Amino acid sequence: MTDFKLSRRTVLGTSALFAAASALGGMPALAATRLRLLWWGSQERADRTNKTVEAYKKAAPDVSIDGEFLGWNDYWTRLATQVAGRNAPDLIQMDYRYVFEYARRGSLLALDDYLGKSLKIDDFGKDNIDSCRVDGKLYGVNLGVNSSAAFFDIGAWFDAGVPAPSHGMSWQQYFDNCVAFAKANKRKNFYASVDASGIEPSFELWLRQLGKSLYNDQGKLGYTAEDAAAWFQYWTDLRKAGGCVTADIQALDKLSIETSPLTTGYAATGFAHSNQFVGFQKLSKAKLGIAPYPVKPDGKPGHYMKPSMMMSISAATASPDAAVAFVNFMVESTDAAQELGVERGVPASAGMRDVVTPMLDEPGQMVVDYIGKLSDLAGPLPPAPPKGAGEIAFSLQRISQEVAFESSSPAEGGKQLVTEANSILERA
Amino acid sequence: MNRPPIPRGPGAARHSIRRSAFIHAGLIVASFVMLYPLLWMLSGSLRPENEIFGGSSLIPSHISLDAFVRGWNGLQISFGTFFWNSLVISVLATIGNVFACSLTAYAFARLKFRGRNFWFALMLGTLMLPYHVTLIPQYILFLDMGWVNTILPLVVPKYLAVDAFFIFLMVQFFRGIPRELDEAAMMDGCSAWRIYRKIMLPLSLPVMATAAIFSFLWTWEDFFGPLIYLNDMKSYTVQIGLRTFVDSTGSSDWSSLFAMSILSLIPIFLLFLFFQRALIEGIATTGMKR
Amino acid sequence: MSSASSPVTAPASGRGYAPPGRLGRILSRNGPGYLFLLPWLIGFFGLTLGPALSSLYLSFTDYDLIQAPNWVGLANYVRIATADPKFNAAMHVTFLYVALSVPLKLMFALAVAMAFNRGIAGLPLYRAIFYLPSLLGSSVAIAVLWRQLFAADGLVNGMLAWFGFQGPSWISNPHYSLYTLVVLSVWQFGSPMIIFLAGLRQIPGDLYEAAEIDGASNWRKFWRITLPLLTPVIFFNFVVQTIDAFKAFTPAFIISEGTGGPINSTLFYTLYLYQEAFGFFRMGYASALAWILVIIISLFTAFAFLSSRYWVHYDE
Repeated sequence: MTDFKLSRRTVLGTSALFAAASALGGMPALAATRLRLLWWGSQERADRTNKTVEAYKKAAPDVSIDGEFLGWNDYWTRLATQVAGRNAPDLIQMDYRYVFEYARRGSLLALDDYLGKSLKIDDFGKDNIDSCRVDGKLYGVNLGVNSSAAFFDIGAWFDAGVPAPSHGMSWQQYFDNCVAFAKANKRKNFYASVDASGIEPSFELWLRQLGKSLYNDQGKLGYTAEDAAAWFQYWTDLRKAGGCVTADIQALDKLSIETSPLTTGYAATGFAHSNQFVGFQKLSKAKLGIAPYPVKPDGKPGHYMKPSMMMSISAATASPDAAVAFVNFMVESTDAAQELGVERGVPASAGMRDVVTPMLDEPGQMVVDYIGKLSDLAGPLPPAPPKGAGEIAFSLQRISQEVAFESSSPAEGGKQLVTEANSILERA
Repeated sequence: MNRPPIPRGPGAARHSIRRSAFIHAGLIVASFVMLYPLLWMLSGSLRPENEIFGGSSLIPSHISLDAFVRGWNGLQISFGTFFWNSLVISVLATIGNVFACSLTAYAFARLKFRGRNFWFALMLGTLMLPYHVTLIPQYILFLDMGWVNTILPLVVPKYLAVDAFFIFLMVQFFRGIPRELDEAAMMDGCSAWRIYRKIMLPLSLPVMATAAIFSFLWTWEDFFGPLIYLNDMKSYTVQIGLRTFVDSTGSSDWSSLFAMSILSLIPIFLLFLFFQRALIEGIATTGMKR
Repeated sequence: MSSASSPVTAPASGRGYAPPGRLGRILSRNGPGYLFLLPWLIGFFGLTLGPALSSLYLSFTDYDLIQAPNWVGLANYVRIATADPKFNAAMHVTFLYVALSVPLKLMFALAVAMAFNRGIAGLPLYRAIFYLPSLLGSSVAIAVLWRQLFAADGLVNGMLAWFGFQGPSWISNPHYSLYTLVVLSVWQFGSPMIIFLAGLRQIPGDLYEAAEIDGASNWRKFWRITLPLLTPVIFFNFVVQTIDAFKAFTPAFIISEGTGGPINSTLFYTLYLYQEAFGFFRMGYASALAWILVIIISLFTAFAFLSSRYWVHYDE
């Protein structure tokens, strides 16, 4: 029972508290600074992260780091509770969407003062640093570079005798290929493509190729009802032509790896983030390939590089220096790079990318190649999403389903999306 | 719903055998429906990862126990620790719940005091508030008391009868116990405590067993409480351990998850088998004779 | 039961020890009651009341979980009542779910409990098997399983195909998805069943013996003895299951992974509340939603208690 007493009250490393706590339940060797590190992810990520923490112990023996990890859904509930209770962990793994929510509410530490001093990330390149900025200030450090991508079942496309998605394929070609795939296909309940109409990153890519965006730099909508209607129309036509999954199959997709129609065997192509490729391959019987999104022939680049996740520091941390030092170790030391690999995405640091690349297995290698060859299709970062963006992503998914189940037309869906999004933005 | 009484006339034996065969056939089919999920999980835990989400066949292409080994040691702390933590919390919570709630229920069901209806209504009211909105204030309360990252927030409230479900359950059962019994005892000068100990508790063994089963089960299955209050992995419960396996943005090990899910069911299933005897036999031994 | 025999520090004062005087009379009349109520009172004032009141306060504020709450008066309630289509959707889903799942689950649980209350060989095993689905609770595996059963090419449609029906994808079709959750709830009928069983075991056997001597049929015994004596338990199960159904969260959360989809068809009230609180950082608004739910449930419970005078039989 002694295990359960106050032994692990690891609050902010305050020495008095620490002494009291260690008196109550045998604490391991003394450490001057204790940091709490919280992340979401799989056991594989945990193993790699724990080894990194071990390695850091050699570099900084007076700092001890308590890691905690959880699944995605549980993670945000616990983080919100701890932050609301003024008991936030010192080191917080952050997601690109949530960083805006937390940073704008003042719960994250701005790292600009450490840049170039204890945080030496100049070799990230400007874009990979700016992608972690909120309203001009740096609130996180990029843990892996990421972009949207199409994943496909190589064998299924080959068997159908139709070209699989590839670099530079147009939306119209993709459409025709999917329809041709349907004609050649013999498997029941199997389609060339998922229905991406409700997947926000896909919609965003399409808009960027039109020279528009989800949000403009005033935090207003960057597209019109007609743009959204055209998007819904494309997928409605493809659905009717048998080129993508039916509405009720697509509704099973919860935008997670294990619910994607590509994983569950309903579709030969799916859209996701490039760092998820390894996970998709692990759950899929088929050999998967990775390609950029279809393009508009004379359109603008739709892709952009964003952090798959970042490491942020709580504004309430008692030891900001120690926390920054650890983050720097994570992204800029050979020891850490060797442990972490590309599990969180391709390292943003050019030096670390060189360390990591030779150690990769085939899917990992494919992801690095993919990111490396994307430059001609990738444009600048989009403007920051305003408050309420998360809710609008829900609306897009719901309205895309209404269109797919034919309770509204693509044109009505487009109008409704814009109306709803505007009212959400007004409220936020 | 109600079947004819056990037939006594000649020829009844054959009729009865046929009837009981019929009943058993029905029960076995129904049992399969009830068991299907478990069988499916079991087969999922025995088969290769990439076969789980394909077809709906129950038979794995080949069987391997790897998932159990992988799952047991899959997190940096072994599942043995999680099982022990869950067990400690569940046992302590069960004792607290049965004890504190039966005291409260006895007061509501049998004792006369001013304000009884008022308190009873408030007690029921506590059943109604969704816990998501009290979560944060409660967390802050326990944080201020220095209880976060201990099992105290998960156990101590049970000794203060905060679970209105059990109070209400016991009140309903206590009210069904014949009044003459405690009235007679009262006439003999028995104290309220003695009536509670010597009359109410023995006569309500089935409901006490029910309450014990439920409070054990629900504590065992709870993940929101442990999720919020236990930070250190060494103090995680089985449910948090299980959920830590699942991650929607990374790769997940589903067969290990199923293997550990099955293991996590075994203790509560055994407990259920054991306690249902108390539930069923309790009444026979105490004898509800008037 | 271990707790029944565990030592206790504060024995209630019996009638004989009452001190004299007016105060003494009040004490001796109310003392034992409050003494027994003491743990609950401490818990209520110490642990429950504070958080409940602070959520009531938050319902009049704009609170994003991180910055200090900001008083907005009745604005949250006004918005809920006048300008929130999702609230209406959630009410619709929740009421439909309550109306369908509670009666079905209770009838099923009572029928199985009655069947189990008689001698059949292997009964403990059957009982345990029938309880198993309830043991699974809200395990993550349920989500995967439900997809396996109710998807277009799932097991249910496989069985329908034997009879020549081509079923839809039940779980992902907005017209049917809620019903799959009703099935889930009915399938996990274990806890009311156990409570019914405990109730049935508490009915004195001599009542049945007496009725049998009078030559009463089984049907008559059920209506005249079982049902009336079981009413306190039926009442309990009814109230508790209804409150639970109003507050249902986990089934929808797990099966729709928190979205309430497709097209809000499984947007349970508490799921919407959770989205508002933890998804969109509107704890103030979520608290207002919670208190509206409390009012709805209290109205229902008050009605159930008032009506209970006419149909619930207590021995008093």
